[in-house]
Amino acid sequence: MLKINNLCAKVGDNEILKGLSLEVKPGELHAIMGPNGSGKSTLAAVLAGRDLYEVTGGSVDLDGIDLLDLEASERAREGVFLAFQYPIEIPGVSNLNFMKAALNGKRAHRGLEPIKAKDFLEKVKECSSLVELDGRLRDRSVNEGFSGGEKKRNEIFQMAMLEPKLAILDETDSGLDIDALRVVSKGVNAMRSPERSFIVITHYQRLLEHIVPDFVHVLSNGKIVKSGGKELALELEEKGYDWLKEPSHDTSNA
Amino acid sequence: MSVFTDNFSATLPPPTRKSERWKYSPIAKLLNKEISISTEAAQGMNGWPESVLPNPVLNLDAYLVVFKNGVFEPTLSDLPVSDGVDCIPFSKMDQSGSLDFTNGYHQKEWIGELNETYRQDGLSLHVHRNVKVDRPIVIHHLTDGNNVASFPKHLIKVDEGGELNVVVWSSASDRSSGMYNGLLEASIGPNALLSLEKVCNEGGKVFHFSHEHIVQERDSKLKMHTFTIKGDWVRNELEIISRGKGTDSVFNGAYLPLGAEHVDNHTTMDHTSSDGTSSELYRGIMYGNSTGVFNGKVFVRPDAQKTNAFQQNTNIVADRGAAINTKPELEIYADDVKCSHGCTVGQFDLDALFYLKSRGIDEKAAKALLVEAFLADVLSSVSSTELCEEIMRLYTERHGW
Ligand SMILES: Nc1ncnc2c1ncn2[C@@H]1O[C@H](COP(=O)(O)OP(=O)(O)O)[C@@H](O)[C@H]1O
Ligand SMILES: [Mg+2]
Repeated sequence: MLKINNLCAKVGDNEILKGLSLEVKPGELHAIMGPNGSGKSTLAAVLAGRDLYEVTGGSVDLDGIDLLDLEASERAREGVFLAFQYPIEIPGVSNLNFMKAALNGKRAHRGLEPIKAKDFLEKVKECSSLVELDGRLRDRSVNEGFSGGEKKRNEIFQMAMLEPKLAILDETDSGLDIDALRVVSKGVNAMRSPERSFIVITHYQRLLEHIVPDFVHVLSNGKIVKSGGKELALELEEKGYDWLKEPSHDTSNA
Repeated sequence: MSVFTDNFSATLPPPTRKSERWKYSPIAKLLNKEISISTEAAQGMNGWPESVLPNPVLNLDAYLVVFKNGVFEPTLSDLPVSDGVDCIPFSKMDQSGSLDFTNGYHQKEWIGELNETYRQDGLSLHVHRNVKVDRPIVIHHLTDGNNVASFPKHLIKVDEGGELNVVVWSSASDRSSGMYNGLLEASIGPNALLSLEKVCNEGGKVFHFSHEHIVQERDSKLKMHTFTIKGDWVRNELEIISRGKGTDSVFNGAYLPLGAEHVDNHTTMDHTSSDGTSSELYRGIMYGNSTGVFNGKVFVRPDAQKTNAFQQNTNIVADRGAAINTKPELEIYADDVKCSHGCTVGQFDLDALFYLKSRGIDEKAAKALLVEAFLADVLSSVSSTELCEEIMRLYTERHGW
């Protein structure tokens, strides 16, 4: 499904990704862990098409499509979804109008006509109950005045609405209490299917007790420095990340 | 068509950069000093260009008062005829119909002076005590022709407890050039309501000047909106004087100039009496090489205790070549007041744009959503949804969202 080969990216003169390779097959869930500042969010943003980051080398292939050649919106239409570490507040744009525009954008791409109002509302109901998103939040402006936990639930709600092929979750667990974590995990688990792949970025092992990964990778200094099964997460929890870092490239400062 | 031609530059020289109020809109170098003023009506649809509809807001059920090149056009108009509303164009007024209700406007600024000197026609509109006019009155001005000038002046008086909605809409055909100079004097009686929307949607190369002077009596309410949809060079002046206790003034504006267009909004809110509220919100998006000016003055005089005045001007500079000069001026002489103001100039929120795009919304649609959200607060107080939708439709059509 997804093949990342030797990906390099920078912001200004700051090289952040330094030759990152990763393959994700259909239905797999890969966890990416690593210290703060190692480049996890950058990887997520580069995959989603944020043009703030300049890709200086490597390739990303999604089911035969050169992802790097597409605009962010086109990538989303091809089935990429990013749940943001810090979801953006957009005053004045209602959550529902936002989702309708997004769904219809995707549908237009597949040659389908806009979704019927009734079908749309049914889908909204179904997906919001999945993450126990309050009806009032659906009607408000996008993320405006939402608590941290509500924002994260809204991300998973959007994921459920858009049914991506590849979902990238960037620290969806951060800032969640244990109940919210359970709700969000339940939503993610309900979305797992043999056709849908996940990249789950997290700083803590905690999330992976609820969302069980097929593989765990450690990102350090812009590269994957170790890969393993789900037991690797436990090992990291115990030992921390220091033992994996190459001392000469230690730039962690975050 | 009979035409009167004159050169005004010696008696009424246009302002230069040296005049503080015209510093960022120096008009003297741009303006053709010779003007041609038409003195006859357009003769119905015969004299009307196909590209502009006589009724600018088709879906709005309204009375219609049409002027072409400044002269009232009776065959295209539909004036209100009901008890308690006197709505008479000056050109149709007999000698006895004197204009005994000016609101005391005497300011001799360039726009007003020019208008006084060359005035051809205009509307006298009087709403009697406790009369609520059943439909909006749309005053539609068309400029059509080469180097033509029009100088309408409208007088509006709403007596105690009355209610009125007026839309002053100006159009110009694409082949037009010249000047539009419109003056409007309004007085709003105690407990009365005036909603006034001023829309400029002019093609061609017309210099658009307008000045509204509005006086509010106690407990009256004003809702004023100034929309610049299209206009090569536009200067809007709005002056509101709160002359009685407990007035409420809402005045908003929007401008989204393209290309090399210039839009200037000068507003003055003068609180001279106590317990008044004013809320001003102007928002603009500057595209291309356009230039803009916002200047908002708020005076709170010594007797205007317990005034609550809010002012905000928010701008997005969408393209590198565009620029806006914005300046709030607050002068407060009373101590027990609440005043807040803010002027900002920024760019489109790139984080928000990326967030929308990451969900599959393309750049154009994403920007349209952000623009709609940006304008929502300006539009929300417009008195009819039909007008609101038409304005948004015109912006959308013009910008290709
Ligand atoms: N927009 C940016 N401008 C400058 N530096 C950035 C930017 N985004 C990320 N970085 C830098 O890149 C490194 C990796 O950041 P990030 O991808 O957010 O790490 P992580 O998500 O693993 O904590 C950090 O050193 C960070 O300071
Ligand atoms: Mg991060």
